[in-house]
Amino acid sequence: MTERASIAIVAARLLVERRMILYACALAAVAGLARPHELAVTVFFCSALGIVAALLQTPGRYPDLDLCEQSAPLFGRQLARAKGVAPAIVAILVTLAYFAPQFARSPNATAAFFIAAAASIASTAVALCATLREGTPRALYVAFACAASAGAFLIAAIGTSFAGELAYCALVTFLALRQYGEALARYDPVPQ
Amino acid sequence: MTILRMREACFHARGASVGPVTVDVAPGERVARAFPSGRDAAVVALMAAGIVKAGSGIVLVGEFDPRVQSVHCKRIAGYVPHAPSRIADSEFERYVAYRAALWNVDPMRATAHAKLLMERLAGVHEAFAYSIAGALIASPALLVLDRPQPAYARHILAAAGPRAIFSTHVTASAAKEFAAAAADALPAMR
Repeated sequence: MTERASIAIVAARLLVERRMILYACALAAVAGLARPHELAVTVFFCSALGIVAALLQTPGRYPDLDLCEQSAPLFGRQLARAKGVAPAIVAILVTLAYFAPQFARSPNATAAFFIAAAASIASTAVALCATLREGTPRALYVAFACAASAGAFLIAAIGTSFAGELAYCALVTFLALRQYGEALARYDPVPQ
Repeated sequence: MTILRMREACFHARGASVGPVTVDVAPGERVARAFPSGRDAAVVALMAAGIVKAGSGIVLVGEFDPRVQSVHCKRIAGYVPHAPSRIADSEFERYVAYRAALWNVDPMRATAHAKLLMERLAGVHEAFAYSIAGALIASPALLVLDRPQPAYARHILAAAGPRAIFSTHVTASAAKEFAAAAADALPAMR
């Protein structure tokens, strides 16, 4: 797949969700003003919004986009990477909006920002796998996404290892995107 | 040589089974088939376009098996869904550019091609015309139509040109109506 196709998919997904992204960023900014110093709250709040962004990729919300992506000559893993970037960007934007009030006061929150952003991206990638499933498997993947966020927080806060948290999040994101790609390749967009 | 070959093709997942379906479409040929329900017609069209994989039997799109070479199949087949498109008039150019990017078609060429197609589809409701034009932008060798409107058959065939067409319908009368409306352009109606 060309970079052009990837950019087109990401841009189209972000464009159709622009209002939701705006509301999520506004909500995150307000939350950031209210509770700026709790790392646990920060990580779980940003991850939760990232999970919601991922779940918005569920087929059926934008049938024209879904159909184009499914009928385009793209491999599942390539499509997974492109579709994974859109909610990851949303997760970063939400985290940035959350930290914006803190950055305005003092720039010392950079480490916390990266911890929250990494956890949010990892949980978003895991939650993407839920979009192609229904019922219990879908709920399980959402639970895994929350667990991924919790794991990242434990490594960063209790293990006090920033590098370890980043490595953990990178591994989780990689495995989740692989899984999502395989699921996309097998996915049959058939009406029930 | 056939551009689409289905032999006892069945689909089993996600609800009731569909099939078996056996059909051959040669290059340039137009084939319309009726199926017992809308879901059956939709699933067969998706299988013919290489978007859905058959659970049993054989589906070959231009000699490629969608189960292992779906990307090749999707380069050959263009798929037009039954549901009308939700694209607004103001979004059509962006939609064309989007499809051109996904199929790696030059955007300027795609826009010019889309305008030509929309001229040929004049009279067809935009919600259907956009889907048909979108599917034809990449110049597929096979056009798969899921329950097309028989009233638009003449326009669809004019836009499709000499490429092969496989259409699914809910009833035999709908298939016949589609064929009758396009009788001049349907040399091999089965």
